[in-house]
Amino acid sequence: MGLLALLRKLKSNPEKELKILLLGLDNAGKTTLLKHLASEDISHITPTQGFNIKSVQSSGFRLNVWDIGGQRKIRPYWKNYFENIDIVIYVIDSSDRKRFEETGEELAELLEEDKLAGVPMLIFANKQDLFNAANASEISEGLGLGSMRRRWQIQPCSAMSGEGVQEGMEWVMQTVNKK
Amino acid sequence: MPSRAEDILNGFKLNWMNLRDADSGKILWQGSEDLSVPGTEHEARVPKKILKCRAVSREINFSSIEQMERFRLEQKVLFKGRVLEEWYFEFGFVIPNSTNTWQSIIEAAPENQMMPANVLSGNVVIETNFYDKDLLVSTSRVRLFYV
Repeated sequence: MGLLALLRKLKSNPEKELKILLLGLDNAGKTTLLKHLASEDISHITPTQGFNIKSVQSSGFRLNVWDIGGQRKIRPYWKNYFENIDIVIYVIDSSDRKRFEETGEELAELLEEDKLAGVPMLIFANKQDLFNAANASEISEGLGLGSMRRRWQIQPCSAMSGEGVQEGMEWVMQTVNKK
Repeated sequence: MPSRAEDILNGFKLNWMNLRDADSGKILWQGSEDLSVPGTEHEARVPKKILKCRAVSREINFSSIEQMERFRLEQKVLFKGRVLEEWYFEFGFVIPNSTNTWQSIIEAAPENQMMPANVLSGNVVIETNFYDKDLLVSTSRVRLFYV
């Protein structure tokens, strides 16, 4: 399901513009996920040194997806992009167990942000195609997602193969339509 | 001492631009000559079949050395100088020493409303203006030829 198809599902929504923010550590797979959603080639993706934005328009509705680089030196700038966000998608490399603590800390900081208070969050437990990937319930428990005070969902996926991506995006659309 | 505006202008570069069939994600044209050389109009030779695409994407990649607070762009598609389509996009903050992309995906007009390639070719210009607040940071003009 591409971004245009997603946008068509929104037609009942009175809001004219929808803003989705993609965050996560470097190498979590944010850009790959975004490119997968647009059916683009994912073989030459390099670390994002800023942002990648996709703006999709259909019948007067607009969907903007913001993918912000996850490198440590860029993370302090994330907060400049928290205005008017409808959904946060937080991407985790499920195979990078050494950095679960680090990703948990970044996530905890996001949950404290006033501007993101109450904003629904989809967590993609990405890279499920790798043999050592932690499963969604392991990650959910490890990060204490159960205590989040907002609508949330964890979705195992592989941005590389596309498995699970559609299910996650369907949750995003359902959640937006409920707003 | 150069002014802040000069620093922004000197530190800004349009790296490349491309056009894709948005359904397949395939690139139909990519230009990587320095698109921001002022006063130059670039030419893109695009396969005619782009006019049959249900949706088309335009993607632009740029770098900035300086931090910017209220960065935005205006993109116009002109036919013989008349505006067919306009996009306004506000990026807001730009990270210092960053490289960024912006892509717009738009559904094409129904085929029966589409002007034929030979009418459009050479008469369509994509003009993109970048601003920080009201400071014009860069302009790019790309003229499309359907081949």
